[in-house]
Amino acid sequence: MANLTKQRLHVVYGDSGLGLHGPDFDYLFSYVHGGPTALKAHGHEWLYRAPKPAFWRATTDNDRGSGFSTKAAMWLGADQFATCDHVAVSVDDHPFDAVPTAPRNDQFSNQESADTATVTYTYRTPTTPVATVDIQYTVAATGVITVGVHYQGQSGLPSLPALGLRFVMPTAATGFTYTGLAGETYPDRCAGAKPGTYAITGLPVTPYLVPQECGMHIQSQSVTVTRNTTLNPNQPQGTPFALKFDQVDQPFAFSCLPYTALELESATHQNELPPRHRTVLTIYGAVRGVGGIDSWGTDVDSNYHIDATGAIDFAFEICPL
Amino acid sequence: MPANLAWLDDPEVFRINQLPAHSDHYYYHDADEMATATSRYQYSLNGAWDGAQYRRPPYTIHDEITPGIFSDAPDNTVGSYVKKFTLPTSFDHQRVSIQFQGVQTAFYVWLNGHFIGYAEDSFTPSEFDLTDTLVAGENYLAVQVYRYSTAAYIEDQDMFRFSGIFRDVNLLAKPAIHIDDLDLKPTVNADLTTGELHVKTRLSGPDLSDGQLKLAVFDQAGTLITTQTQVTQRKMAFQPITVSQPTLWSPEQPNLYTVQLTVLNAAGETLEIVPYQFGFRRITITSDHVIEVNNQRLIINGVNRHEWNAHTGRVITTADMQADIATMQANHINADRTCHYPDQIPWYYLCDQAGIYLMAETNLESHGSWQIDAEQPTFNVPGDNPHWLAAVVDRARSNYQTFKNHASIIFWSLGNESYAGADIVAMQAYFKRHDALRLVHYEGVFHVPALKEKISDVESRMYEQPAAIEAYLKNDPPKPFLDCEYMHDMGNSLGGMAAYRDLIDRYPQYQGGFIWDFIDQALLINDPVTGQAMLRYGGDFDDRTTDYEFSGNGLLFADRTPKPALQEVNYYYGQSH
Repeated sequence: MANLTKQRLHVVYGDSGLGLHGPDFDYLFSYVHGGPTALKAHGHEWLYRAPKPAFWRATTDNDRGSGFSTKAAMWLGADQFATCDHVAVSVDDHPFDAVPTAPRNDQFSNQESADTATVTYTYRTPTTPVATVDIQYTVAATGVITVGVHYQGQSGLPSLPALGLRFVMPTAATGFTYTGLAGETYPDRCAGAKPGTYAITGLPVTPYLVPQECGMHIQSQSVTVTRNTTLNPNQPQGTPFALKFDQVDQPFAFSCLPYTALELESATHQNELPPRHRTVLTIYGAVRGVGGIDSWGTDVDSNYHIDATGAIDFAFEICPL
Repeated sequence: MPANLAWLDDPEVFRINQLPAHSDHYYYHDADEMATATSRYQYSLNGAWDGAQYRRPPYTIHDEITPGIFSDAPDNTVGSYVKKFTLPTSFDHQRVSIQFQGVQTAFYVWLNGHFIGYAEDSFTPSEFDLTDTLVAGENYLAVQVYRYSTAAYIEDQDMFRFSGIFRDVNLLAKPAIHIDDLDLKPTVNADLTTGELHVKTRLSGPDLSDGQLKLAVFDQAGTLITTQTQVTQRKMAFQPITVSQPTLWSPEQPNLYTVQLTVLNAAGETLEIVPYQFGFRRITITSDHVIEVNNQRLIINGVNRHEWNAHTGRVITTADMQADIATMQANHINADRTCHYPDQIPWYYLCDQAGIYLMAETNLESHGSWQIDAEQPTFNVPGDNPHWLAAVVDRARSNYQTFKNHASIIFWSLGNESYAGADIVAMQAYFKRHDALRLVHYEGVFHVPALKEKISDVESRMYEQPAAIEAYLKNDPPKPFLDCEYMHDMGNSLGGMAAYRDLIDRYPQYQGGFIWDFIDQALLINDPVTGQAMLRYGGDFDDRTTDYEFSGNGLLFADRTPKPALQEVNYYYGQSH
């Protein structure tokens, strides 16, 4: 029987997912929903739905004018409808040949433990040709989750509007603090952004006349999201709690908004956007530039395109605070 | 002369009984008034007017003069305004005129039932003499404003279009001897060691024979430099005033000298005082085709600025202007193109004081008359059409005459996107004839290279690719280059500015440019569905045709809060100011 100590993960081999628990966290890596469906830290749930790869950004005026969104339209479908068709589980570097659902999990007790566990989800995009994305979550006994995203492109695919991993959190954040560059930045618009640590109140949506891609923060080392509400009616409300996302090796880009790209895409004015129910934190491994020469034909400079034909890898850590 | 609606149809009729355009000087009865910038000679008619509007259905634009095209056009909205006023006692026994500083697009004025005059040119002051028509006690002023006249062909600016009286209306009393026009020409010699001020005036009054006009000039510290006095005449010129080692005007140091003109009657009583701030600066183009100001290469870190307020449209306040100046200064923006019409008068004074270069654009855009086929437009006004010549030269004249004394203006701009032809050549000639101290800008000649010798001192382009600009600059450029519009900041934009910034380092003939543009054009309207205030843009008023959200390309949102991109402008403009 496994030895349960503070340094070990409590592993629960469930029928529909792998439970990983520690004194301050409870994670559930679903075998059916394409990712973790519970990421509970200190009793507070951080996932409204399983994180999904993000391939779309809400069309900017320049994207519309240059016809980019039309050329990239496949990625809109991928953003919404990419499906996970494979899940792999590895516990203490011991890979399972197949996901340990019933009856394979009958061998385990409710007292299993491990030093580390890794769950990898493979998504296939509804594009022609198909691209795949592996999203690998490695959980340490401390509760720190290392997330690695590996996009495997295919020749023939149009340039990507974005590539990231989107976390939808159950309630709207009260704010976020990040270490990176000041203001809203993109690869072709960041020269004037001073490095530092910035505390942002609420979830500001840059009020462009037509809602569009906004709120990007490139070259970030960390972002900490703070909420003070949950959907659990039995939980006291109003006390702040936070979750931190840290870089691994390389800085990442992120946006922290109350809306998904599709919600932004659908509105013609700011006040047509829906009520702010949730927090949408997207960590990006690649960000397309915004361009600016004109808004009626000139594409973003090719140095700031996202090539969809090769591989894109990025990684970050999630740290329950 | 009775008012005639057919004037709306005739491009050759654009001003009836208007007083000539003149300098935008303020005048005061005495030094106390001057100190507080209040004048007994000015009586504002701003405030509530009685009015009504009605509409009629659409018309078709033809390419030739058509009787009734506007005067009998079913969709030609008419705003009818009435204002009753009683003159203050300070106006007793004075000549009185009325000045409309902005009325869109064509209007007729009546006073006490008498027709006074007619004016077009929405963005320059229109002034009429009322002296003989005023009555003691209450006067009844009536104005009818037509949305369309032939002026609509040449006021085709790509922007929200409104109609009506949208700037100040003032009654102006003119003392027995009055300075109608003040013409200051401050020159600086080649090595910047000596300035010379040339002062001319045009006076009016029933009897000029016994008056005196005193000229005093003060330096930027307020120290009196010199005085001159002459007997008044209709046209006067003072002896040139030499200033050695003048303190020059520049964006970094907007040093302003002051002239003060005092009009005295035969009894030696002061009738009026005119103060005016001017600056010494030297604008030249070197033999290498580089524009220099005060012998330094000109770098334009500019913006195009429409007058805009999210609550009131093109009606803006002095506070709005001051906020815009502050935003420019905080972000190293050193130049403004007054796209695409003359702004309110105070803007030019503020730019003089703040050190903002101005490209003072004339109210002209006829994009709709040629954009269908830019290579060979099927028709174009003003083009070479003699029937439009007087109207467009008048617009150049009004722009020049009104603003000629402002240090901030370094370019006159002939207008925007109006193609090019003999009429625009004549506009350029007007500016060149009257102003040897500034440059003339026009982009539209790009489409008619044969006229480049006659139009524009600069090679100006809009939204040009950096590589194409470089191709021009590499190939022995015959004129200095500037972007009259670049970096289209629509929505989430302004990426890639480095490509333009790099040209500054590499090509001396590249003089920078004016970002498009300063502030989004959208109107804050209460949304009946959500109860929230919302910014409505093109098309949100059932206005058709429309380019929808293309009304918003600002560095600022329509409510004057900055867009995130502004920090990028601050950075790049901060590299080269």
